[in-house]
Amino acid sequence: MTPSTAGAQTPLVEVQDLYKYFPVRAGLFSRHIADVHAVDGVNLRIKAGETLGLVGESGSGKTTIGRLILNLVRPTKGAIFFRGRNITNLRRREVRALRREMQIIFQDPYASLNPRMTVGEIVGEPLRIHGIARGAAVARRVDELIRLVGLRSYHVNRYPHEFSGGQRQRVGIARALAVNPTFIVLDEPVSALDVSIQAQVINLLEDLQEQLGLTYLFIAHDLSVIRHISNRVAVMYVGKIVEVAPRDELYENPLHPYTQSLLSAIPIPEPAVEARRKRIVLTGDIPSPVHPPSGCRFHTRCPVAYDRCIKEEPALLHYGNGHFAACHLVEEQSGRAPSLIEGPIVVPAS
Amino acid sequence: MRLLPRNAAATADAILFAGDDLLRKSESEMRRIRGRRIAMIFQDPMTSLNPVLTVGEQIAEAVRLHFGASRSEARNRAVEMLEKVRVPEARQRLDEYPHQFSGGMRQRVMIAMALSCGPELLIADEPTTALDVTIQAQILELMNEIQRETGTAIILITHDLGVVAEVCANVLVMYGGNLVEYGTATQIFEAPRMPYTQGLLASLPRLDKRDRTRLVPIKGQPPNLLNLPAGCAFAPRCAYRMPICDEPVALYDFGGGHVARCVLYDDAAATQRPIEVETVPLAKKS
Repeated sequence: MTPSTAGAQTPLVEVQDLYKYFPVRAGLFSRHIADVHAVDGVNLRIKAGETLGLVGESGSGKTTIGRLILNLVRPTKGAIFFRGRNITNLRRREVRALRREMQIIFQDPYASLNPRMTVGEIVGEPLRIHGIARGAAVARRVDELIRLVGLRSYHVNRYPHEFSGGQRQRVGIARALAVNPTFIVLDEPVSALDVSIQAQVINLLEDLQEQLGLTYLFIAHDLSVIRHISNRVAVMYVGKIVEVAPRDELYENPLHPYTQSLLSAIPIPEPAVEARRKRIVLTGDIPSPVHPPSGCRFHTRCPVAYDRCIKEEPALLHYGNGHFAACHLVEEQSGRAPSLIEGPIVVPAS
Repeated sequence: MRLLPRNAAATADAILFAGDDLLRKSESEMRRIRGRRIAMIFQDPMTSLNPVLTVGEQIAEAVRLHFGASRSEARNRAVEMLEKVRVPEARQRLDEYPHQFSGGMRQRVMIAMALSCGPELLIADEPTTALDVTIQAQILELMNEIQRETGTAIILITHDLGVVAEVCANVLVMYGGNLVEYGTATQIFEAPRMPYTQGLLASLPRLDKRDRTRLVPIKGQPPNLLNLPAGCAFAPRCAYRMPICDEPVALYDFGGGHVARCVLYDDAAATQRPIEVETVPLAKKS
């Protein structure tokens, strides 16, 4: 069974065997010398109303997956379904129609807002483009959206530079919500914000999800934020999904050695807890997605890798309760996690 | 380090380093301290390494400058330092340029440079913020080991409270350009006194928390440094704000070295009632 066939109802979003290679060119004639294997055979499903957290380090391909789903980049191979309909390689007009259903919020709210437009113009633009509202109706809807995201009505006449990072991210959220989408890709939405502001935006995103019945794909590298906001979590490593599980299952019973290492690497802001923890410190660097390692991509850093891992690529297998992992050792131990350190990876908070 | 541009006036009475006032040092005296006795590493190793010099030349430069070492001595020292920060195949990699190193390896090179002269103090400014978490774990472990081996004091500047909990013995919390709380890591994390410190800890999502309770954010925005309030800089966002907070606030001592800049612990505050917190004024139209 693969993640795409588990469960009965049709998922809102489904990604089947998706690949995206970006060519690397060099030299006088821009000769094609290699490919960046950004996404390398990914299967994923997102249920209506849930938040799927997608985590991974640099170059894992998590951002590319978000962009592929939105048709912002075209896949090299594979298919993407939205409400059961194939939305891979749509025509321009169809893409535009699709954007009324799905939107994206970016990491850097400053770079993604036009500095020469007022907030009212920024939030109102999608309404005009999609023919949702005209004239006075635009202003009414903009005002409604601005207040929905916790800004004040008088903010519509201001420019992005007049806002703080957290407020700018609110503007980005209001713009995404303008077309009344059902699905939103959030690409590191709080990573650029001050710690004290992060919580404000996370709470807002949770409130909006509940009020508007939104489905989120929440892309982040911060596993603490992901645990807080997600229902299920998928972990990526160099273009592949290595583990998918319901949130608490993933954090309390991580199967894949990479997930275990990742979780154990995050320091917890409590010295007493930190003093009791053992840490798995991986050796080496994250491999380049231009020349990903053979077999299991994690074998170059995995403390428990053996010969099979170098030769053969592990499949993402189901071990019950919606918990999937791609690891030969987990398979050979019939779903038992390899133990890399004594005791739990994440000591549950008291 | 006295590295700020001329328009930054340091108004301290003194900056004491091993009993000496750094503010009274001449520029040439400072040059003998910088790099040799106090070293610094920065957040982004790519912008702090010279892209047209090999890594070996950059590490050797400080040793030659401060100790008058010969080329070959300095080169051997560079190899030794790269091995110390666990760069594999150190001798070969000495002749490579910074762009040939990964982010984590570049930060190791920075640490090797900083430690090459055996400084008494290492100032690390967000040393792992630009790194992935598995690489961050490597660098933090390295810094811990090096401190154990060499006894170098470290000032770690960071916004990541998890990193603080993992590596620091003492913690100084700053807000709006001012020290607001200081204590041991245990005092700061387990019994924070300043509402700002309390708010920061409450607003963090936790890796080890199962229940999906709502986060408690700090209201408002960080202060504008051009226009700081006369009293407590945190007062506009503070849930316990009282009229007395608009006057300059002293540090209160909680014993065991734990101090906090908050009027809540003043007897005068007992007679005052908290005032309604207003929302922070938003940026003005320019």
